[in-house]
Parts: sequence; structure tokens; C-alpha cells
Amino acid sequence: MTIRGVVRLPEPVLTRAAAAVSEVGQAERDLATDLLDTMRASPACVGLAAPQIGVSLRAFVVDVTGHRKARSCHGAFVLFNPEIVSASEPSLAREGCMSVPDLTGDVARASRLVVRGLAPTGEEKVLSVDAFEARAVLHEIDHLDGLLFLDRVTAHDRVFPRKVYR
Amino acid sequence: MSHHVAITAIGSDRPGIVAAVTGVLWELGCNLEDTSMSILRGHFSMMLMVAVPPGVSAADVEAAMEPAAAASDLVVVVRPIDDDVPVSTVGEAWTVSVYGADQPGIVHRVARLLADAGVNVVDLVTRVIGEPEQPVYAMFLDVTVPPGVDGIEASLEALAGEMGVSCSASPADAEIL
Repeated sequence: MTIRGVVRLPEPVLTRAAAAVSEVGQAERDLATDLLDTMRASPACVGLAAPQIGVSLRAFVVDVTGHRKARSCHGAFVLFNPEIVSASEPSLAREGCMSVPDLTGDVARASRLVVRGLAPTGEEKVLSVDAFEARAVLHEIDHLDGLLFLDRVTAHDRVFPRKVYR
Repeated sequence: MSHHVAITAIGSDRPGIVAAVTGVLWELGCNLEDTSMSILRGHFSMMLMVAVPPGVSAADVEAAMEPAAAASDLVVVVRPIDDDVPVSTVGEAWTVSVYGADQPGIVHRVARLLADAGVNVVDLVTRVIGEPEQPVYAMFLDVTVPPGVDGIEASLEALAGEMGVSCSASPADAEIL
């Protein structure tokens, strides 16, 4: 097992799109183990994407076990080349990120999601996730596209004047 | 070593205010740090914490602002500030919203209640909305509730009841993903 360092902004790997894995072999299984180990080394961490440990490949781990905001829970799982099959029911919640210290922001994300990808065994998985697990999956997939929650944040202020003042 | 100044600039909203003010700062070799800029009742209001190079005083910055301030009809004030960053109260992050018929004292009474409980306000935005003959006041706060302080939600709701306005408070802890 290897606990890898979590890279932080402005590390360029965080803001570029990661490459798909061509197959799931030993190197990919090692990456999956490192993602799990590194996530577990941080008590509050419920998800980690490969770019966050400096690897520009499309892989992430999520584990929302025991989280008070979780409804669906698939335990700890790693997906390679994840794709969103369907997404609905947006909801707003405040997020932070291990790679963006000091800031948090309100982000609207789908709260119902079907995602598919390859497990470390190489078999295709299709998962239905909702609530907090859906938020975590979408946050990690954003990392694979070089996007941070800062790209999604709705606003610092939650309200804006909608018309011209009289 | 650079030092810091606090700058406030307020004027009728129009395109170009930010460009004008920051252009002066750029030419002086200043660096913008934390800032807050917003339209308040039609006036563009800027608050800037700025790192200033050695040898440039707050008065120098204010003087350099004069042409831009005159051109954009801005009131600009520059003050030196202590370089030590004060440490804020630790505790749980909560958001509070209060809204209802506008009346004197909403902000003060809510703030007094929070202060007496040792709760620190870290962000506060208020807006007057609705029709001029029936204005509605809306207030949104981010606060830090120190450990051991309970029942803030209930006391806020009781106060809101006295004022005939609505109030809600909820933990705003961010999930770190």
C-alpha cells in the first residue's frame, strides 16, 4: 500500500483533462489501491480522483460509508473511465476539496445519477447512486475533466438583485 | 517589505469602475488580496485589502487615486492596516437567513442576540426587496458558533417571532470531497 501526497492548486494536473485508461491491468490495480489508501489516510475524505495524487488518468474512488448525508451507499469503489449515463434532480450543497484548501462553495449537482465504468477487476459496472454519493461521484468525475468545484460554484452570495433598483 | 492598506471606494454604478481603481493600484505596484465588491442600492461598493510596495504610503495611494476617483465620481478612502492577520473564532459554520416586513432594528437585534451568545458573524448581506410601499427586508449571515453554544436556532426563532419576521438557521459545514 502507498499513501500518496494529495496535490493542491495551482498544480497543473488538477486543471487539465485526464486520459482514459486503455485497459485495466496491474498498473491500474495499483493505482486503485493507492487511491483507496490515500483516501483512507484522511479521515474526513470520502472521495479522491487520480489527478489529485498527480496521476492524469480517468480513475476515482468514493466511499460514503457512514456519512450522515448519504442515502445510497456502495461502500468503497473505484471506477476507471467513468461515464454519466443519466443525471437528474439538482440540489445545492456546500463543498470543499482536499486540493483547494481554505475555500468552500455552494455547488448545484444532480442528486440522482446512473454512472458506469470499469472496476479494478476489469468488469463493467453500472451504479445507481443518489444524494451524497451522487455528489461525491460528480465531484470526482469533474476532477477527471480538469474541473474543480470553483468552476461550478453558483455564487459567493446566494441572492442577487433581480431587477433594477428604483 | 510590502505592507497593507484597506481601500474603500463607492460611487454610482457604471462600467469601468473596477478597471479604473485597479489600474491605479497596478501602476503603483500594489497587489490585490482579499476583496469584496458589490452593487448596494445602485452604488458600486468596493472594499480591498491591498499589499503596497515599500516606500508607498496609504496617503500616496489615496493621492494617486484622485484622478480616477474624480473621473468616476467615487469616494475613495485608503487607510493603513496591521499586517498581522487576526485569528477568527473557531466553531461550527452556520448560515442564518432572516426576512420579513422591513422595520428598524432587524440587523441590530439579530446581531445583539448572536454577540451575546459569543457567535461570530463572518459574512452578512442584506437586501431591501419588494414594492416601495411594502418593502421586505432580507438578511443572510454566515456565522461561527463556538463549541458549547446550544439553542441558537430556538433563540433566533423566538426573536423572529417577536419581530414578526421569518428566520431559519442551519449548519453549513462543507463536505470535503
